[in-house]
Amino acid sequence: MDFLLNEEQLEWQMKARKFAEEEIKPISLARDKIANPADTIDWELIKKGSKIGLRTAVVPKEQGGHGIDYVTQALVMAELAKGDSAMSKTFSQCWKWSHAIAAVCTDEQRKRFLKPFLDDDTFVFGSGQTEANSGSDNRMPPVGDLKAGPRLRAELDGDFWVLNGEKQFIANGNIAKLFFLTVRTDFSVPFTDGTTSLLVPWDTPGFRRGKCYNKSGWRFYQNGEMIFENARVPVSNQIGETNMALHKGDGDSSGDMFGDLELAANALGICDSACEKAISLGQNHTSGGELLKEQQLVRLKIGRMSMLTEALRSYVMRVAWEHDQRIHSTNAGLVMNLSTDTVQEVTELCMDIYDNVSGPMDAGVDKLVRDSFIWSHLAGDSVQRLKVAGRIIK
Amino acid sequence: MYNLNLNEEQIAIRDTVCDFVKNEITPVAVHPDRLEPFDPPLPTELIDQAAELGLRALSISEEFGGAGADMLTCCIVAEELAVGDADVASVLAETANLAGILFGKLLNKEQRERLLPEFLEDNKYHIALASSEAEFDGWIGNNYCRSKTDGSPVNTKAVQDVNGNWVINGTKTRVSNATVAKLFVVQADTKDGPILLIAPKEAGGIIVNEINRDGGWYIGSCGDVIFTDCTISEENIINLNTMDVFENVGISCAINVGVARAAFEAAVEYSKIRIQGGGPIIQHQAIGAKLAEVAISLEVARTIIWRAAWTSDNESTMSEGNLTGLPLNNIAHISSTEILYKAAKDSAECFGAMGVMRDMPLQKFIHQTRMFLHSRSGNDDSKLQIAEAVAGYE
Repeated sequence: MDFLLNEEQLEWQMKARKFAEEEIKPISLARDKIANPADTIDWELIKKGSKIGLRTAVVPKEQGGHGIDYVTQALVMAELAKGDSAMSKTFSQCWKWSHAIAAVCTDEQRKRFLKPFLDDDTFVFGSGQTEANSGSDNRMPPVGDLKAGPRLRAELDGDFWVLNGEKQFIANGNIAKLFFLTVRTDFSVPFTDGTTSLLVPWDTPGFRRGKCYNKSGWRFYQNGEMIFENARVPVSNQIGETNMALHKGDGDSSGDMFGDLELAANALGICDSACEKAISLGQNHTSGGELLKEQQLVRLKIGRMSMLTEALRSYVMRVAWEHDQRIHSTNAGLVMNLSTDTVQEVTELCMDIYDNVSGPMDAGVDKLVRDSFIWSHLAGDSVQRLKVAGRIIK
Repeated sequence: MYNLNLNEEQIAIRDTVCDFVKNEITPVAVHPDRLEPFDPPLPTELIDQAAELGLRALSISEEFGGAGADMLTCCIVAEELAVGDADVASVLAETANLAGILFGKLLNKEQRERLLPEFLEDNKYHIALASSEAEFDGWIGNNYCRSKTDGSPVNTKAVQDVNGNWVINGTKTRVSNATVAKLFVVQADTKDGPILLIAPKEAGGIIVNEINRDGGWYIGSCGDVIFTDCTISEENIINLNTMDVFENVGISCAINVGVARAAFEAAVEYSKIRIQGGGPIIQHQAIGAKLAEVAISLEVARTIIWRAAWTSDNESTMSEGNLTGLPLNNIAHISSTEILYKAAKDSAECFGAMGVMRDMPLQKFIHQTRMFLHSRSGNDDSKLQIAEAVAGYE
């Protein structure tokens, strides 16, 4: 057992901490308050983060990135999320698909798509899975159900896939320059055997961005609608074999595995922020003639918040370490589920402590709680729990 | 005998309000145009429409032209209204509660005859209680097992001029119904200690600053009220030395039940039509059990709230052995706010990502049940009040 971080890991952690303190925190609440959900993005922040490697951190060194390991990824995501969870996610969404490019794309595709990604500070990735008819089913496909799954249709026309249909709630849907899209290529079989992955650039003819969703939390991180009307995507943009998109092995660098860790590490950052806010209030706020920290009930809550946060940290770092060791266990899924309970309880306890300040709720604490509720449908809903439980009980 | 068998009148008024809500309020309240903005205006048209049902005068005795409703009936009406819109329910409940107390108990004959006709006549006539002082900070537990203070300090001053008129100066903060009130009940300090005065808005010298609804953390109408040489005649004094009579915790709990019920009803309806995992999601154990838990929460919350209301309606005729000596309203508040917040979150989870979208009502229900959970000085403070009763501390 060794809990010590190496120099490179520490260096990235400190770099992310500094960026969160100096660049993210000062603008976090203001971006959250922008009413039009399409206007929340701050490209200056993305550019600044990109210049210090945050956008391209996960692209392997030999492919021109920084190749940071999973432990470092977890550290950086948590540090950034401590400043603003949604901003952290905007960067780490690029990592999710950097993993995918490294793992499943051909050399030719890597050359074609990685170079523009590496060269352009405003190039972010998106992925298109969810559709009106296909939400939970994407995560836990019903066996043998022909009606389930994506309906976005792709048909071959010479060297092109011709796409018709729509995607919903797509991460970075309004701002990404390249999408990892799942399309239905065979309707005669269950979608698990009839879905294909394509790389779709934002300027593909016949594709347009739809509305930007107006969320109650994670407002900086945009989700959008994608509309395809005879959109033509070259066959050379196809990832893997036709109809085999959902047959990916449990490879240790698959996007999904990263996704589980990603949500847990991000939640950890929110917890750190909540603890910091609560402790600071306890030390500085006077109520009824004495500092809040003198109240037993406040101490008990801060104790519990810290306990839950440190337990989550241990689990997050263990999973990151497992990933680096190429150990594939159910822990990634479990820590994702756990992070939902932890981040919501910790932020709500923080809010309890802020009840001691008269007037409206502190805007920052309110944001932490709103951001945390995003976990309910991303990481901790029944399907996400059943999926992980299914791996355990088989 | 303890009896929650609603009488014909109670059922009739419940059904009338329920129909009104379904036909008139809900369609407006859940429209995206109303849900999406951070700062939607108070739905005054809906409040006026609902007022036409006689709801402002709900708890004024029939002798004086009201409906003579008891606390239990007021809770039933508040819940039904809040299923449609909590803002509408709050404004009307606040006016009805204050009107019942003023015209039924506090005002003398001259005051009543002077004010009541106009109140009954004008459906836009609302009442506000201006009691909280701007400088006062809430506290937690500071009062636990320590000598009671005389309540919070009253900084607003009232002095009598040469003609005997009261001249009021000071600022009250976060006053419910401030923006719609035509009559203010004001607590002010005099050389002989605090008194209560009734100040019609038309007296002049009263400025109301609405508190921004975005981030203001309130339901209904709320504003700061600034009294600047507000001059009212001598006859506007109320002989009362405690503010306890104005307590209406029970009704706010009932509004909270209404909000959670709206979330529950939406979740049940949606779970029946949403097909994932091979069938309507309500057919899945996980969703079925979740909705069952929400149903249990609603029943449990309503039971304790109704018991508190029934007790307050029958207190004078109850023999000693029937009362626990514990503050039932407080118990109802704590137990219901905790389970109803969870009920709203669980209901929203059935909607997946749509549970966090601002153009959908679920995120609003969560936010509102959260505000109830963190209303007053927080549940720790409320618990310590019960602890004092348990400990037998005087």
